[in-house]
Amino acid sequence: MKLVELVLLVTLILSIALLLTFAYMYLTPTSEIRNLAVFYLVTTYNPQLPFYTVNSPEAVTAIVWDYRGLDTLFETAVFYLALIAALALARKLYVEATPEFNKGNEGLSVIVKTVTKITSPMIIAVGASIGLHGHLTPGGGFQGGATIAVAPMIIIIIFSVLYLLTKRVTTEKMLLLRSLGLIGIGLTAISAFIIGLIAGRTTYVFQNMPKFDAPLGLPDKLNGVLISGTLWFFNLFEMLAVASGFTMAFIVLMLVKKEG
Amino acid sequence: MISETIVYLIMAVIGVLSTIAVYMAIQERDLVKAVIYSAVQSSFYALLYYFLMAPDIVLVYLPVAVGLIPGVLLILISKTERWEKE
Repeated sequence: MKLVELVLLVTLILSIALLLTFAYMYLTPTSEIRNLAVFYLVTTYNPQLPFYTVNSPEAVTAIVWDYRGLDTLFETAVFYLALIAALALARKLYVEATPEFNKGNEGLSVIVKTVTKITSPMIIAVGASIGLHGHLTPGGGFQGGATIAVAPMIIIIIFSVLYLLTKRVTTEKMLLLRSLGLIGIGLTAISAFIIGLIAGRTTYVFQNMPKFDAPLGLPDKLNGVLISGTLWFFNLFEMLAVASGFTMAFIVLMLVKKEG
Repeated sequence: MISETIVYLIMAVIGVLSTIAVYMAIQERDLVKAVIYSAVQSSFYALLYYFLMAPDIVLVYLPVAVGLIPGVLLILISKTERWEKE
């Protein structure tokens, strides 16, 4: 134990010394921007380049859901499979609230409960804002969904999981929402392709804005509001899928009883 | 140039503070307190990401590392024992 402490302290002091002496000299970013970065920054919101732009002022979301949209689709699939694995471990998908649960007895003190009642709608509002403005400001579907999932999490810890179930937040409904989100992501990915099939023109899967050889794309504005084509829908459905998936995992995790 | 130096100095201090939080989390015998120290370390990391001009990562790191992971760990601790044994 002494040795570990000594090694940790020496590492600490050395890291201070290293950071203060060398970090400033070597890690200063240069003012030159690499060509790839220039390409993304110039094309991400540029109405003068109609066949290259994504029409989203937020370059990160544009890259995540448009330039490399297929990668993000597979990331969503990985998250989906991880949740399936967690639920398969718990093996208790459909749970109903027990009728004998009387609220007020379980959980923490009244102060904590009142503060939670005030803050959890705020958390959900902030999460929805992060998710739905993902194409305008930093954020996006996963960020918004993860923020929303904090609200049921603290409700589970501060009240109890049965409180959440009596409020009709059941795993069945969360499963429905999550499936809705995933189906929405799939449909958004092929939406331009379906439009092209109906119109009889060339379009691609995962196409967003019009391209040179596929002049039919999704609109960048809906009723005068910038939605950046597929980005807004991807963010919305990803937010639904992530928030409901996390909530379902927490409910199931909390309901697993010790056996024996 | 001076302002850049100040930002890097703040980042160095935040990095050292996060290392201290990691040390406290490892040394702590009370697992609930260790989870809180871990959350403190995560908030320092989120600040570092902010100074490195990555607000997207801050927004995904804060709810996951300060909200969700401590919550899951608290649930797991409630299912086992609170105190770490030798």
